Amino acid sequence: MLSAILSQTWVRRNAGTLWPLLVAIAIVLGFQIANPAFLRYEGIITLIYAMSYFLIAACGLTFVIMMGSFDFAVPSVLKLAALLCVMYIGRFGFFAIPLALAVSLGIGVLNGVLLAYLRVPSFMATLGVSIVVEGIALYLSKGFLHIMYDERFRALATTFFLGLPTIFYWAIGIWALSTFLAICTPFGRRTYAIGGNLIAARLSGINVEKQRILVFALSGFLAGVAGVLYMAQLGGGSMLIGSDMSIPLFASVVAGGTALSGGSGGPHRTLLGVVIITWMQSGMLMLALGRDIQMVIFGLIAVAVAVATMDRKRTRVVK
Amino acid sequence: MNSRRFLVFLGSNPVFLVLVGLVVLFSFLYPHRFLTGLNLTTILKQFVTLTLFALGPSMVVVMGSLDLSYVGIWMLGGILVWLLTPSLGFWSICIFPLLGLGTGLFIGVVHAKGKMPSFILTLCLLVVYWGLTAILSGGYSRVVRGYEFITAPLIPYVPTAFLWSLPLIVSAVYLMERTRIGLYLYAIGSNEEGAQLAGIPVTKYKIIAFALSGLFTGLGTIILFQHLGGSVPVELNLKNVVWPLVAIVLGGTPLVGGSGGPQRTLLGALTFSVFYRGLYLSLLHPEILQLLVGVLLIVSIIVGARGIKGVEIT
Amino acid sequence: MKGMTPILEVRDVSKTFDSVVQALDNVSIAVYRGEVVGVVGENGAGKSTLMKILAGVYAPDRGTLFLNGKKVSFPRNPKEAARRGISIVYQERGVIPHLRVYQFLFLGHEERYRGPFGLRKADMRKEARAILDEFHVACDTESFMYELPLATQKMVEIARAVLGIRLESRGEEVTPVIILDEPTAPLTLEERKELFASILRMKERASFIFVSHIIPEIMEFVNRVYVLRDGKLVAHYDFSKDTVTEEDLFRAIVGRESLAHILSEEESSVAPEVVLQAEGLTKNGAYYDVSFVLHRGECLGLFGPAGSGKSEIIRTLAGILEFDKGKLRVKGRDVSPDEPPYIRLARGVGYCSGESGKELFFHWSIAKNISVVNLEKVLHRHFPVIRFKREEEMAKTIVEKLGIKAPSVHTDCYSLSGGNKQKVSIGKWLERSPDILLLEDPTIGIDVGAREDIYGVLFEMKRRGIALILVSDDPKEYALLCDRILVMRKGRVERVMKAKEFQEMAVV
Repeated sequence: MLSAILSQTWVRRNAGTLWPLLVAIAIVLGFQIANPAFLRYEGIITLIYAMSYFLIAACGLTFVIMMGSFDFAVPSVLKLAALLCVMYIGRFGFFAIPLALAVSLGIGVLNGVLLAYLRVPSFMATLGVSIVVEGIALYLSKGFLHIMYDERFRALATTFFLGLPTIFYWAIGIWALSTFLAICTPFGRRTYAIGGNLIAARLSGINVEKQRILVFALSGFLAGVAGVLYMAQLGGGSMLIGSDMSIPLFASVVAGGTALSGGSGGPHRTLLGVVIITWMQSGMLMLALGRDIQMVIFGLIAVAVAVATMDRKRTRVVK
Repeated sequence: MNSRRFLVFLGSNPVFLVLVGLVVLFSFLYPHRFLTGLNLTTILKQFVTLTLFALGPSMVVVMGSLDLSYVGIWMLGGILVWLLTPSLGFWSICIFPLLGLGTGLFIGVVHAKGKMPSFILTLCLLVVYWGLTAILSGGYSRVVRGYEFITAPLIPYVPTAFLWSLPLIVSAVYLMERTRIGLYLYAIGSNEEGAQLAGIPVTKYKIIAFALSGLFTGLGTIILFQHLGGSVPVELNLKNVVWPLVAIVLGGTPLVGGSGGPQRTLLGALTFSVFYRGLYLSLLHPEILQLLVGVLLIVSIIVGARGIKGVEIT
Repeated sequence: MKGMTPILEVRDVSKTFDSVVQALDNVSIAVYRGEVVGVVGENGAGKSTLMKILAGVYAPDRGTLFLNGKKVSFPRNPKEAARRGISIVYQERGVIPHLRVYQFLFLGHEERYRGPFGLRKADMRKEARAILDEFHVACDTESFMYELPLATQKMVEIARAVLGIRLESRGEEVTPVIILDEPTAPLTLEERKELFASILRMKERASFIFVSHIIPEIMEFVNRVYVLRDGKLVAHYDFSKDTVTEEDLFRAIVGRESLAHILSEEESSVAPEVVLQAEGLTKNGAYYDVSFVLHRGECLGLFGPAGSGKSEIIRTLAGILEFDKGKLRVKGRDVSPDEPPYIRLARGVGYCSGESGKELFFHWSIAKNISVVNLEKVLHRHFPVIRFKREEEMAKTIVEKLGIKAPSVHTDCYSLSGGNKQKVSIGKWLERSPDILLLEDPTIGIDVGAREDIYGVLFEMKRRGIALILVSDDPKEYALLCDRILVMRKGRVERVMKAKEFQEMAVV
């Protein structure tokens, strides 16, 4: 029986899901051995706080990478949304949230338009846009630390329900919706199609330009949602929010199994990637390994997983 | 004949007109502040910084790839110099070109053999170097003394670093304009498959391009290290990464490759320095300045990427 | 010519791929000094295999090579081929657009021009000028390649091939033999004329092997022609001695076997309703003043040699290319010239190509590939959600109907054979049933069995009232499928034939 399950073909077929799972288990065990407090209740809550907002942002980025493009702007959009919330909640009340989300969506649409209609390579377009967004965030926040005093807003993320904070349910809900969107709807099909074979996608009657804009809009919107909830979780923040996120974020999407070459993977895969990366981050924090060492490790991991998952047969010319 | 040549030059270098326009504009706007010796020296200093960072990477952009590792080489190299000075003394500065060459070779091999997109590869490496810098420095910016001669004033109003960078600039332009390596990089950037059919070992030249980019960045950072104060920051400043990129693209090297090159980057760096300095004199809010730089980057890419058919943009 | 020693001769060359596919079977050809030799045949007849053997890309299984009467071994790589005087100019992608003409001419041979201060540009320019003059190529050595007209680019490529041979042979006397692999494919009609004129001027400097399947070009322009079919040499005509007509050549390429056994008496399915109408459609440089109507259930063939504008027309109809002048009406409504494919598809115009890379998502299952154009059919009634059960059933029906050989409908497409891939791409359009389906080379490169299955599907489509437009290289296909045929020549419709007339011409 067991041998049938673990037969070679089964293992090979599910290798893409299996190895991140094994890595995740190994990481948990490793940190548990290194620090017995790791899997206590408090430890688990820390892990969940660390991964939840990350998962939301990663889902958006996954769609973009699935489509064969790239979005550098996710961390800056997250930052801007979080800062908009904390600075305007006093003035506009809860209307600050739709404001932040609308701004994020708008930035996403701008990225999409730059790619689809002005034919700017997405990594460059989003890099440029992210600098502009950082500039806006700095201009608005003046570089100060802003504290959130609205408890009802904070409750969005920090109320406990069945022993877990609400941000966890938000994240899992959004993850499930993204997975559903990717696998079960025409929207997801079209996204995979563009990443898999752009010419065939055009000839199959897909409106490639519109789809590109929609996907970048989704990515921007989810980055905004992540920013709002993260602000609710933290209760205050400055320009530092999301500043070291870009490489771990990219690494978690790719480590889950969404290759940079596009057309494969999906948000369902990203969950494991996020678990691996954010839990590693928390574990390293517990072991008092600093941000610098984390950067080194995640940078190397990102390179390694990107090379490992890249589909070398399909892409002829890599720039 | 000469006037026709000049028109052709203008046609292929529209940024030259922009440069002249900016100079005229700012001279009118700030008659007493723009065309002063001090201000021009500042522009030249800025130009040196941008050029030395952008010189190597512009060779890679010619090939259609991207190399963002330059700031990483500067930061990590600077800390290594600080670490090695007690044991090696003056010659520890040689770590810059060695580190640059090694980094370039590594990037080239991983990119060409592993087929990893170069922009994300070099970005990851940049972050790794930043982390290493922070670890090795212990979190503080370290000052190294003994290289002040690089910036010691020689000619009034001309930064000495500019004089030091001249041989580098000349050799980069020479390499791209007059040698086989340069020619092959243009060929690969223009049509990689065609270059393969013409018998050029594409993988080898891709690795060479990144190695050269790293080497030029390494040599340039010897000058830059002192030019920027004899120490390196332990925090990555995004503007250091983006501004040289703006200079490359603004100069007229399109990201899809095939044309442009270091000589264009010089023009781009000069234009950008004038643009930035002019805005600086306008006493705009610094964050607004940052914003305008981002907009400038996007606009110059849009203009630069136009008119290239048959290239699928992702 | 006879009596002289040929400068290049191959005897009894055979080549087998994967120990099953016999690509070449005892083929012998010869090339004499100063002539242009044609090698013609359908796709898959073995032309390019033979050329790649000559150019040192493939090694033959058997055969001998003679250069100037001396027996030599086959070249092992393109450099060695060049050293012996053989070089190939590829169909496309050979040009490097951003290099200057003189840089491109010497690309890969720069070591001779190394000087103390880098490459000696002045020398390179001077020698480039000399060789361009020698070959009567009128262009500035300082121009960028992309600035030149396409025909001039081709000529520079030819000059580059000769130059490569001279530089590689290092002073030894060799007569260059240049292989031109379908050189006219990307050119407009006007540019072709220019290219031919200049190749004829180059004849005294080099011999040419001209690979093509464009009959009028061959007739006009080569001295002798070898015809390949299914890897065998089936005919050899010397135009200076034999009187050959276009029909003779055409039949030699296609084969003389009777079409009668596949021509069953099909009921005509043509309905009076006009679904597509073109009036004076023009795309400069490709086709001019093309007018036709298409009825429901009809199959219209666009027949003509490659370069006659037929592919451009069908791509225009699909929305891949724009047209410059004229009117196009789909189901009675005018359409704009620059609509992308998805709008055309919404109007009921589907496009199916025989190149599976344009049609299929190789990493997707058969089921997903079939449903990609049929997503409306598999969606839930109220929500935009894919119902996988429905998708699977749809795919199963198609797989059964077309006899696609695959373990299941969830098998990834890249593991299928060429014929089965092709059936998947036709199958998805059968399920979609657009009003008009454009077929470009629907059976290219697949075996006979799969072909007949696909013809069966196309007949069913006609019975269902789908109007078809066919572009192909295979005249048998036109004779079998089409109700009317527009014979194209040099971008214009020469005449309109009824199916019967065409069958008589093709079968005889």
